[in-house]
Amino acid sequence: MSAGSFILNILILGVPFSVALLLAGLGETINQRAGVFNLGCEGIMAMGAFLAFLPPYFLADTPLAGSANLIGLLLAIGAGVLLGLLFALVVVTFRAPQGIAGIGLQMLGWGTAGTLFRKYVGGVTGVAGIAPLPIPGLSRIPILGPILFNHNPLVYLAFLLVPVFWYVLFKTPWGLKVRAVGTYPRAADSLGIPVARVRYQALAVGGAMAGLAGAYLSLAQAKMFADDLIAGRGFIAVALVYFGRWNPVGVLGGALLFSLAQSLQLSIQVAGIDFPYEFAVMLPYALVILVLALVRKSRMAGPAELGRPFDREQRV
Amino acid sequence: MKRIVALLLVLALVGGAVYGAPKSKVKIALIIESTVDDKGWGQAMHDAIAAVQKKYGSALVEYNYSEKMKPVDAGSAARQYASRGFDIIIAHGAQFKNLILELSEEFPKTTFAFGTNADIGPKNVFTYMPMSEETGYINGVIAGMVTKTGIIGVVGPVDAGDSARYNRGFWLGVKSVNPKAEIKVAHTGSFADYVKAAELAHTHIKANADVLTGAAQQATGALRAVAEYKDKPIWWLGQDTLQLTMPEGYKVIAAASYDYAAVVEAMIDKRQDGTLGGENIPLTFRNGGFIYKFNDSVGSVLTAAIRKAAEQAKADITAQKLKIDWQAVKY
Repeated sequence: MSAGSFILNILILGVPFSVALLLAGLGETINQRAGVFNLGCEGIMAMGAFLAFLPPYFLADTPLAGSANLIGLLLAIGAGVLLGLLFALVVVTFRAPQGIAGIGLQMLGWGTAGTLFRKYVGGVTGVAGIAPLPIPGLSRIPILGPILFNHNPLVYLAFLLVPVFWYVLFKTPWGLKVRAVGTYPRAADSLGIPVARVRYQALAVGGAMAGLAGAYLSLAQAKMFADDLIAGRGFIAVALVYFGRWNPVGVLGGALLFSLAQSLQLSIQVAGIDFPYEFAVMLPYALVILVLALVRKSRMAGPAELGRPFDREQRV
Repeated sequence: MKRIVALLLVLALVGGAVYGAPKSKVKIALIIESTVDDKGWGQAMHDAIAAVQKKYGSALVEYNYSEKMKPVDAGSAARQYASRGFDIIIAHGAQFKNLILELSEEFPKTTFAFGTNADIGPKNVFTYMPMSEETGYINGVIAGMVTKTGIIGVVGPVDAGDSARYNRGFWLGVKSVNPKAEIKVAHTGSFADYVKAAELAHTHIKANADVLTGAAQQATGALRAVAEYKDKPIWWLGQDTLQLTMPEGYKVIAAASYDYAAVVEAMIDKRQDGTLGGENIPLTFRNGGFIYKFNDSVGSVLTAAIRKAAEQAKADITAQKLKIDWQAVKY
């Protein structure tokens, strides 16, 4: 294989690999901008992946087969919203420690998805899932076409959501409220911004995106469900928000860096390049840690109130 | 009567040991990190114990299992089973080694087992090791004869244990029929990351591989990826016969799987004869530890010549005419 094909394959494969991380990372960006980090992202993704898998599995030979993927996506998003709101109830209303509550949500989602899968589906199996949708004309552009325009619709959606999230976060009144309650909730409260309500809304959006990210894995990438399908990607998404400095564009960069490094290490192994596979497998993780370590601390400043519950009755 | 004894002796010599029903009730517990329906690692052992239970009846073989047990959780489960008087506790995975060695001292009258591992354990610990180079070799023979691009991809979990044996046996099998074929061996670093296994399979296919194989439960993800190339001549060789029955089975030319029943029966038999452990039990074609199935509905890709070559390899391995020096393979 020529060097050109080697690099092209890395790029072609790296783009779809990044989507689950990107979708979950965008949602987590909203969470964290509102002052709440949700380690339960992994559990919401597991529930999203499971629920999205059900309609194509059960409706395969029915008149609803054509809509099964869409129903699955909606179920995943709906479950994500509900779990996001449940998390909000625990950490915003009851002011539970966010880290512990997040781990609890992770276990709840993972355990519930696995248990229901066993009860209603049984063993590991696949579904037809979402087919690629090459964009007419654009997909035929040399080099760029296969890299950017020859994927399934969720890939395009994920990349289009980056500017949407950036705009919502930095150019709309709601985005300003989200950032305000994550930076200085007491001041926001004194200006009449309902801190708890905004955090509930942010966590609902974050949950929806995590559910969608899980659905991407089960419907578009792996096209199957298994207990360990998410395999830590929810936690990586949380880390990528720090990497991306709480900016949707930065999160996109982090997701792409991670997935391209992943694609690179797989391609290195497949090309038979003499390189210990143990180090190759570590490469994406090591690279993200390295970049995080090299970013100046002043540029790493996140939302000032990240992780702290807000209590308007408490004296400061 | 003499004929029956002679037949049993022949069966014992040719097909491996023949075990009788347990003399008294035996209680078996299984501890696994995955699930009993993972169409791979966990299910193979579960099915084997269930088959032994079915063979002798629940009155003679009692069986309980605990799934999704990380090594840190497995200790309490194993201790409970031992305290409740279970005779044989199988912790199915090399990751449980330290736990089992520790518990074996605490419960010296209980038989423990873990695998895959080729070490000889303490006197109340059995280990078991599939000689997977045998199944790998046969799959390799088929892959070497099927490939048109001359590039074959291996989706490995980690380069250790029975997976390392399988991959190297596969390599030798390919080279025995197609010395010019390129075998690309890559690893995901995980036994259960289905998504990463699928990503690796796609990477192999982009690099022109037209026959793929892989081991561990993650291989289902790789097979799913192969099935996405529905109309292209890209094929899969399985390390679990359950893959033949999956919807993606139309891409599987043939598959092998472990039949741990031989291991389970051996442990029951030895324990009831007073040997609580201290031995390594191998799985081979010779002792009935492997099952090999062709996919009769896969179509013209499985030619008579390919089937014959694979069957010949299996016969030679079973008769020990063919020695597979898997440790010599460096890739």
